[in-house]
Amino acid sequence: MPLAVLLAAARGAPKGPLDSWSPTMLEGFALFLPLIALIVILGFTIESRRLSAWVSILFTFGSLVLSLIVLAIEIAHPLRLERNETFLQFFTGQSGVAAEFRLEWGVVADPLAAVWLCTVVGISLLIQIYSLSYLRREEGLVRFFCAVAFSTFAAMGLTVSTNYFEFLLFWGLLGISSYLLIAHLWRDPLAAAAARKTLLVTGIGDAALIAGIIYIFFRFHDFRFSTLATSYTGGKVGANGLLIMALLIFAAAAARAAQFPLHVWLPDAVEAPAPAAALICSVTMAVSGVYLVARAFPLFAASPRALMVMAVVGGFTAVVAALSALAEGSLKRLLAYATISELGLVMLALGAGAYTAGAFHLFTHAFTTALLFLGAGSILLMLRTDRLEEMGGLWRRMGLTGWTMLIGALASAGIVPLSGFWSKEAILSRMLQQNNSLAVAVVVAVTFLSALYLSRMMFLVFGGETARRRRFDPDKIREPGGRMGLSMFLLAVLSAGAGIYGIPGLKNGFLAFMTYPKQPVERALSTTPVLIVIGAGVAGLLLGWILFRRRLATRLPIISPVARIFANGFYLDRGYTLAVERGLLPLSAAVGWVDRRLIDGFFDSLGASVASATRPRPFLANLRFGQLALAIFAGLLLLGLIAVAVSTPGVPKVAGLP
Amino acid sequence: MRIFMLGVQNQPAFGNVPELPTLLLSGIVWVPTIVAIGLLLFPTRTEVHRERIRSIAIGACSLVTALAVLMWYGFKDQGGTFAYDENRSWLPSLGASYHLGVDGISMPMVLLSSILFLMAVLASSRIRERVKEYFFLILLLETGVNGTFSSLDFLLFFLFWQMQLIPLTFLMGIWGGARKLLAAWKYLFFGLAGSSLLLIAILILYYTAPAHTFDMLSLRDAKLPVGITSLLFWLFFSGFAIQLPAFPLHSWFVDAQAEAPAPAAAVLAGAVVKLGAYGLIRVNLGQFPDLTNKYGNFILGAALVTIIYSLVAALREDDLRRIIAYATQSHMGLVLLAVSAAAPIAINGGVLMMVADGLTAATLLLLAAALYERTGTRSIRELGGLAARMPRAAVVWTMAALAAMGAPGLAGFVAQLLIFLGSYPVHRRGTLIAVAATVLMAGLMLWTLQRIFFGPIREGYGRVRDLGSLEMTYAVGLVALVVLLGVFPAALVDNINLGVLSLLSRGG
Repeated sequence: MPLAVLLAAARGAPKGPLDSWSPTMLEGFALFLPLIALIVILGFTIESRRLSAWVSILFTFGSLVLSLIVLAIEIAHPLRLERNETFLQFFTGQSGVAAEFRLEWGVVADPLAAVWLCTVVGISLLIQIYSLSYLRREEGLVRFFCAVAFSTFAAMGLTVSTNYFEFLLFWGLLGISSYLLIAHLWRDPLAAAAARKTLLVTGIGDAALIAGIIYIFFRFHDFRFSTLATSYTGGKVGANGLLIMALLIFAAAAARAAQFPLHVWLPDAVEAPAPAAALICSVTMAVSGVYLVARAFPLFAASPRALMVMAVVGGFTAVVAALSALAEGSLKRLLAYATISELGLVMLALGAGAYTAGAFHLFTHAFTTALLFLGAGSILLMLRTDRLEEMGGLWRRMGLTGWTMLIGALASAGIVPLSGFWSKEAILSRMLQQNNSLAVAVVVAVTFLSALYLSRMMFLVFGGETARRRRFDPDKIREPGGRMGLSMFLLAVLSAGAGIYGIPGLKNGFLAFMTYPKQPVERALSTTPVLIVIGAGVAGLLLGWILFRRRLATRLPIISPVARIFANGFYLDRGYTLAVERGLLPLSAAVGWVDRRLIDGFFDSLGASVASATRPRPFLANLRFGQLALAIFAGLLLLGLIAVAVSTPGVPKVAGLP
Repeated sequence: MRIFMLGVQNQPAFGNVPELPTLLLSGIVWVPTIVAIGLLLFPTRTEVHRERIRSIAIGACSLVTALAVLMWYGFKDQGGTFAYDENRSWLPSLGASYHLGVDGISMPMVLLSSILFLMAVLASSRIRERVKEYFFLILLLETGVNGTFSSLDFLLFFLFWQMQLIPLTFLMGIWGGARKLLAAWKYLFFGLAGSSLLLIAILILYYTAPAHTFDMLSLRDAKLPVGITSLLFWLFFSGFAIQLPAFPLHSWFVDAQAEAPAPAAAVLAGAVVKLGAYGLIRVNLGQFPDLTNKYGNFILGAALVTIIYSLVAALREDDLRRIIAYATQSHMGLVLLAVSAAAPIAINGGVLMMVADGLTAATLLLLAAALYERTGTRSIRELGGLAARMPRAAVVWTMAALAAMGAPGLAGFVAQLLIFLGSYPVHRRGTLIAVAATVLMAGLMLWTLQRIFFGPIREGYGRVRDLGSLEMTYAVGLVALVVLLGVFPAALVDNINLGVLSLLSRGG
C-alpha cells in the first residue's frame, strides 16, 4: 500500500488521503515504534531469543511503512513545506537575557528528514533480518537487538529533530547505543577498548557541539533550526561569530564522520559484529556527523570560511583514507577506510556548496556500505578470519555473496549505471560548474582510488585459491543463504537502483526534491562529468585487474608508509594515547599524591596536633549506646541553654516583635 | 497532537489539589526522630528483634517518603512565598521562631533526601551489630537533613545543621571501614569548623540587622553596612564551601566517602553534601546577590578548580569508593559554577544537578558496596570481567555511569546543559573550560566501567552472585528516577524555576 501511494505521489497523482494525513504525526509514530519494540523486548519477551528479534523486526517494519508514507506526502506536496510540530515542552523559563527560554521536543517533516528517515529505517530493517541468522549461534542476541532498536530510535530522532537541544539529546543517545553495539563482544578487550575509544574521540566532538550550541543560543536566543536558518544572514552576528559557531559544529560533525584528525575511532569500531559495523558506518554513528552538517547547512552557508575548512578537511580525508584502504590488510578495516573516504567526499561536496549532490551521495553510500559490510560479515562467518591474505577462491564457493558484493563494489566505485555513479557524477558536475580544479582533481582521484581498492578487495577475497590454514577446511565453505542472502540481495538491488532516483531531469527526483536554497535547480545530464567519472572508475578497475588479478601484490609497498601514518592518525592517535598515559595519568597520580599528602596531610597533622593536645581516648569505638544518646542529647540541651541564656535580659529587645 | 502537550503550563498538570495541612513539613522532619526515640524501647537480643527494628525504620522512612511525594504533588506556585509555611512561636524574646517552608529550590531537595534515606535504610540489611543504635542514628540524621532543607529561621537552620553532623560522625566512627576513626574525626573536625563559621555569621547577622530576628525572610530585606555584608558573605561562603566540598577544603569528603558504611556514604554523597550547595543558593545568593556577582570570578575559580582537580585526581585512583566520591565532588563543582553565574537558567541546572547527582552517586555507592560484599575488594585493579557473572549489576552500573557523565536521556544531561547555557553569558571562558572537562568525566566513567565489568573475568570471581531482589529494588528504583528526570525534567524543573525566579528577583 505505501508503495502504491509512493508511486502515485511520484507521478504527481491527485493527492487523496495525503493531504489529510499529518506527516509530523506519522513521523512521531514512526519514531516511537523502535522504542516501543525496545520496551516490549525488555518487559515481556526478554527470555525468548527468536520472539525478541521478531518483535524488533516487525516494529521496525511498521516504522518503515509510516516513513514511506511521510516521504510520499513530502513528494506529493507541491510546495514541500517544512512542517514543524512541537509535542513536548521540557522547560519554559526566563533566561535572564532573552524573553523566553524553551527546551522542546518535536518532529520536522521536510525532504531531508523524510528521505533520510526512510533510509535509516530501511537499512536497519535489512540489517536486523540479516542479524537474525548471523548471530543465531552467538550469545547476547537479545542484547544485540535491543541495542539495534535503540540505535535506530536514536538515529531516527536525530533525523527528525526540530531544534539543537533535541538534536543534542538524540546525538548523545546515538553515541551510547553505538557504544553498546561496539562493546557487544565485551569479553574481548579489543572490543571494549574500541568502544571506549569511540565514545572518547567522539566525546571531544560532543563537547564542541555543546559549546557551539551554547554559543548559538547566546547570540540568537534560539534553538530551532527553522527560525535560526533565517536569522544567520540577518547581520545580527558578524562573520567571525558565525565562523566560530560553524567551526564548533563542524568539529562535532568531523568527530562523528571520522574526518581527519578525529578519524582514529572508526577503523577500531568495526571490531563490532559485522551487522553492527554496517549499521554504524552506513546510517547511524558515522553518518550522523554528515547529517548534522546537512541539517545546520544554513549556518555553514552563511560562513564561507567554514565551508572552505570543511571542503579542505573532507577532501584531504577522502584521498588519504582511500590510500589507506589500498594498503589495509583486514577486510572490515578496509571497508572502514572506504567509509571514511566516502564521507570525506560528502564533506568536500557540502563544503563546496553542493548541498544536493552531497546529500545524494550520502544516500547512495548508505546502501553500498551496508551491503559491503554484510557481505564481509558472511565471509567472516565462513572463514573465521579477517585477514585478506588468508582469503581467496571464494567466487565458486559463495556465489550469492560474490555477486552481491560485486554489485556493491561496482556501485561504490562509481561504475555506470549503478548508484555510486550518479552521485559521484552529481558532485563532479557541480565542481566543474564552479571551475574548482582542485576539488575536481580530488573527486577524480577518489573515484579512481575507490575503484582500485575495491577491485583489490574483490580479487583478494574471491580470486585465486583459498589459503590452507590449520584446523580449517575450505571445502566446508558454503553460501550462508537464507535470511542473510535475502538481506544482501535486497541491498544489492537498492545499491544498484538507488541512483536512478537521482538521475538529472527526473521529475520529483532527488535533485529537484532536496535542494538548498529551496528553489530546485534544473540540470541536464552533461557529457563531461559523465565521461570523467566513467573514465576514472574504469581506469581504477583496469589497474586493479592488472595489479591484483594474479594476486601479484597483496599490499602496495609504495603506499604502505602513507597508510601507516594515516592509520595512526598521523601519529595523533599515538599522541593522544601518550598524552593520556604520559601526561594525564602521571598528573593524576601527582594530584592524588598532593591530595593525600599535602592537603589532606595538612589537615591530618592539624587534627593530630589538636588530638594530642586534648588526648582523646579512642572512645568512639568503645562507646555504648546509652552514652551515645546522652552525648547527643547533652549537645542539643547545651544549644538550647545557650539559646535561652542569650535570650534573657541583656540582649536588646526590639519593639514590634512578639 | 495536543494530547502530547504535557507540562506546558506553569501550574502542575494535576489540577487543584486540596489544601494540605501545614503540619506536613513538620511530619517530614520529625517523624524519623519520633520513631527513633520509639526504637529505644525495643529489645535487640535475637535476629527477630533486629529484623523488627529494621522493619520499623523502613516503615518510618517509607512514611516520610510518602509525605514528601505528597508535598511534591501538592506543590503549587506560591507567587514567591513558601509552600506549606508553618510559623510557630518558639523563642519570641529572641526573635527566633519555628518556621518551616519549602519553595521550588528546597522542595526537590527534601524529596531527594527522603527517597535516599529510604533506599539507604533498605540497603542496611548487612548491618548486624548494634542495630538499634545504627537505625537510631540514621533516623536522627534524616531529621537533621530534612530540617536544614526546610527551615526558614537561621537559628533553627543551625540547630538542624548540627543535628546532621553528630549522627553521621558516629555512623562513620562505629560502623565504618578500616580507617573509620580517622575519617570520623576528620568529618567532625571539618563539620565543626564549618558550623562554627556559620554560627558566627548568623550571630553577626542577628546583631547587626536593624530588627533582631533570625527569620530568613525578614532578614533578606534588612539593610546592612557594606563592610559587614562582605564579612558575612565570606563567613557563610566558607562554611558552606566546606560542606560542598570545594577545593581546598574537600579533604574530609573523600575519606568519609571511602570509610563510612555504604548506606551512610550514599546519604552523605546524595543528601548531606547537598546542604552546602543549598546553603550557598539559599543564603549567599538569596541574601547577598550583589556580592555573589561581585565575587563571581573568585567563586568561578573555586568551581573550576574543584571540577578539574577532582576529575584529574580520580583518574589514577584505585579505590572504587574514592572514585565515586571524586565524581560527586566534581558535580558539586558544577553546582558552584552555577552559583557563580547567578543566572536563573544556571541555578535551575544547579538544583537539578544536585538531584541528579544525589541519585546517581547513591546508586553507584550502593552498587560498589554490593561488589565489595561479593569480591571482598574495592580496588579496581583486582576487579574485571564481572559482567559475565553480574549482568544486572553491569546494566544498572552502566546507566548510573552514563547519568554521571551527563549522557542524554538521563537526569545529568539536562542539568549540565542548563548550567552551561546559563553560565556562558556570565563567564564565557570558564564555562568553556567546564564543557571541556566533560570529556574527562566521560573518560573516567567509561574507563571505570570497562575495568570493573568488561574484559575476561578475573580468577576467583567465577562463583559471584548477581544482585539479589532487594538490591535490585533500590538500584532499579534509583535508576528509574534518573531516567524519569532525564526524559521528563519538567516534573521538577517547572517548580524549581519558580523558586529560582523568586529567589533572584527578590534580592538586589
